[in-house]
Amino acid sequence: MTILKKTTMLALAGMLLSGTALGAAAEDYTISVWAGGSGEESDYRVKAIEIAAEFYEREAAIRGEDVDITVETQLFSGWDDFKQAITLAAESGTAPNIIVSGHEDIGPWAQAGILRPVEDYVDFDAWPLNQLYDNLIKVSSYDGKIWGIPQDAESRVFFFWRHHLEAIGYSAEQIDALPQQVLDGEYTLYDMLDDVQKMQEAGLVDDAKGFMPRPSNGPDYWQFYQSFGGEMVDPLNGKLVFDKQALSDMYQFFVDAVDKGVVPATYLGGDWDSWHGAVASGKAGAWHGGTWHYAQWTKKNGLDDFFGNVTYTLIPAGNERGRANSITHPLVYLLSNTGTDDDAALSAELVTIASEPRINALHAVKSSHLAIGKEELNVPLYAESRWATEATENLLPYTNALPNSADFGTVWTAMYKGLEASWTGVSSVSDAVEAAEQEVVSALGDKVIIKEGGM
Amino acid sequence: MRSRTSRLGLLMISPALLLLAVFFFAPAVLTGVFSFTNMSSSTGITGGAWVITPNLLKLLPDRGVDASTIEALGVESYSVDEAGLAAARAAGVDEAFVDEIEARLAGRNYATDSDFLSALKDLGSRPRRIRDLKLAMEPFTRSILNVRFPGKAEARTAIEAVAPGIDETQLNTILAESYTGWVWTTDNFRTIASSAKTWRIILNTVFYVATTLTLFHLLLGLFLAVTTFYLPKKLGAVFTVIWLLPRLTPVVLYAIMWKWFTWDDGFLAILAAELGLPSFNYMKGSVPTAWTIVIAVNGFIGASFGMIIFSGAIRAIPMQQLWASEVDGASRWQQVRYIILPQLRWPILFVTSYQTLSLLTSYAEIWLTTNGGPGNTTTVWALDAFQTALLNYSGSLQYGLGAAMALVLVAIGLMLAIVYLRLFRFDELVARPKIEF
Repeated sequence: MTILKKTTMLALAGMLLSGTALGAAAEDYTISVWAGGSGEESDYRVKAIEIAAEFYEREAAIRGEDVDITVETQLFSGWDDFKQAITLAAESGTAPNIIVSGHEDIGPWAQAGILRPVEDYVDFDAWPLNQLYDNLIKVSSYDGKIWGIPQDAESRVFFFWRHHLEAIGYSAEQIDALPQQVLDGEYTLYDMLDDVQKMQEAGLVDDAKGFMPRPSNGPDYWQFYQSFGGEMVDPLNGKLVFDKQALSDMYQFFVDAVDKGVVPATYLGGDWDSWHGAVASGKAGAWHGGTWHYAQWTKKNGLDDFFGNVTYTLIPAGNERGRANSITHPLVYLLSNTGTDDDAALSAELVTIASEPRINALHAVKSSHLAIGKEELNVPLYAESRWATEATENLLPYTNALPNSADFGTVWTAMYKGLEASWTGVSSVSDAVEAAEQEVVSALGDKVIIKEGGM
Repeated sequence: MRSRTSRLGLLMISPALLLLAVFFFAPAVLTGVFSFTNMSSSTGITGGAWVITPNLLKLLPDRGVDASTIEALGVESYSVDEAGLAAARAAGVDEAFVDEIEARLAGRNYATDSDFLSALKDLGSRPRRIRDLKLAMEPFTRSILNVRFPGKAEARTAIEAVAPGIDETQLNTILAESYTGWVWTTDNFRTIASSAKTWRIILNTVFYVATTLTLFHLLLGLFLAVTTFYLPKKLGAVFTVIWLLPRLTPVVLYAIMWKWFTWDDGFLAILAAELGLPSFNYMKGSVPTAWTIVIAVNGFIGASFGMIIFSGAIRAIPMQQLWASEVDGASRWQQVRYIILPQLRWPILFVTSYQTLSLLTSYAEIWLTTNGGPGNTTTVWALDAFQTALLNYSGSLQYGLGAAMALVLVAIGLMLAIVYLRLFRFDELVARPKIEF
């Protein structure tokens, strides 16, 4: 015996009715799409929906239907206000039809019921969704259902300023061999600290500017956790893992960096604009960012010769226990529970069209993100971009994503608070780890596995 | 003789009462209510649904549900049988399509939805829209996984349908664990009490309120009021306006100006470099300077409040007293100490109690300047409650916990107000005069 939800029945009835109405009058749709963390370079996240709407209208005209779609777009440059806007709008039923957000939001938002699973509206075995990368589709899934369609991919990278490396004694061949050394685990984070210390002593960079990590919270900091052997998820049972030894080593790494004088104790919370300006002009020795920063630095910060000035590697391992790694934080197109089932079906079709390789490549190359599907590598615009092809080849195969979980946010917040506390010296590393563990256990109980040290 | 309450008066005041109730009391009451829930952006505000998911099935063995029930709940299949076909017809799937399904696929079972979908895609009379195809698959499903049941009764019926004869306690456990909405709980207060950072934030808040209040609101406010009183009128007016500017400037602009002043290559840093002092980001570069900036930013705004109140109060002092004191040879300082200050008792009480509560709840300036940093060294209670409830980059917004923190603040504010009123003997101020007139 089956349970047919009331909404589905209404949808079927609506479908019947709309079937009879088809051809009689022009169908007008207004589809709204909001994207978070998107500046002007990433405007194709929403423009792709406009292009898709135009395509859909043309295809409908050929089929003999008269469809008129108005797409309302909004870009949010930050994340905090965007996530707040989405959750509060969803409660009042005014969320946009299509949401472009990070995949880590799928867990909490799916649980809260503000999303429609895209799997119920699209066919993943048909073009263009059948050529999307499997790991990206997995990243867009949560708890047995595919909730979103991948919008872009990227990888978080470690960068070095080539000229400073040369000045402290690296030959060109050694610099070119560095990525492989990082991959093999021969060049570690502590080797990096020694190198930037040499750069500072040689006067190539100002004091406390040798190493410039990310100035605010982000998925990037989980890379350092992985560099010291931490896993975010237990592969056997899918539970979240809190590895105290890895966390402790990671906090200690930043404390050591402060002690060596290559980064200030009060570094976190700095200004992003000045960070971009500094790293793109050689004021830092080593830093880490993302593949999409290429577009920012070459277009806005005046870095004309990226490959001549910068070399890039995975995030190096920290110790024997860890590994070189990179985290990818794909954004996904999500369908909200706003509007009728027809609105959602149309939104799903628009998102499907927007995932066409040629259309997605517009976003990928303009904002220097990476391809979401195999065929996109063949699109001329993508293939002729050196950074896009190199990053796809050298970095993407080694990346993993943050887990999709409604509870991961608690662990993330605890990790970052502990990092801030130990980095600024407000508490010792062991106290910070204890405090983080206490927060995680009191909020999640046995939903998270605590790994003690020494494993 | 007591005055009668005028009915007309009540009528006239009712719009104000309504606004007060809706925008003043209702939020405070709701905050109190929400603080006893675990509401967050994962649970949603308007209630939840019951949904059984694969992750939940992995959790159930630890909760005492037996393996056979879990297996029954996790069954996923599509079967084209009489019941399914009837349900499809009843739900309004296209008649021709259902006939073709019956003709070509009757009696088949499919383990996954993609298998069933590819079978359906082979049929000639399938609907064009993918959504319609997916809707047509629904009547044939035998799975309750990832189905959102809007009510407990529906969920119960569905579970009993796939796992008949299920034990009542296990059923209740499953229903409790599968609920996605918020529940009533006192855990928020337990979390606040046992969290390591709570003490730090309490100390920060006490330090912030006490220092800003004393140094700027009271002392600087008094100083400004007294000095502008003694200055020639026009000059006094100029200084009054200057000191009002921080309060009049939009807070975001004001914060940005402070950032320009204190940032890495800002005015202070350049000046310090010229003078040979340490040149760094004065706003976030070190804990003492961060605190200085935070207190200064709020203090310069707050000083104008005291200045205005005290100015008005000073002007209410009869001039004859000051003239008489001048005749007796009193210096300015003696005038201030013996004539002006004693008569400012009630204004000082007012400013103290009003600004304590105002400072307790102020977080905007701190958020826009140091954002509670470096680390959480300048985070105050109000800022933490705001960030917990409404601004959380990595986690979900935790409305319940934030409301609990706000409730604590409300309680402390009320207590302090009562303490102040007692301390400054407010009842004396509002006592009926002892003589009749």
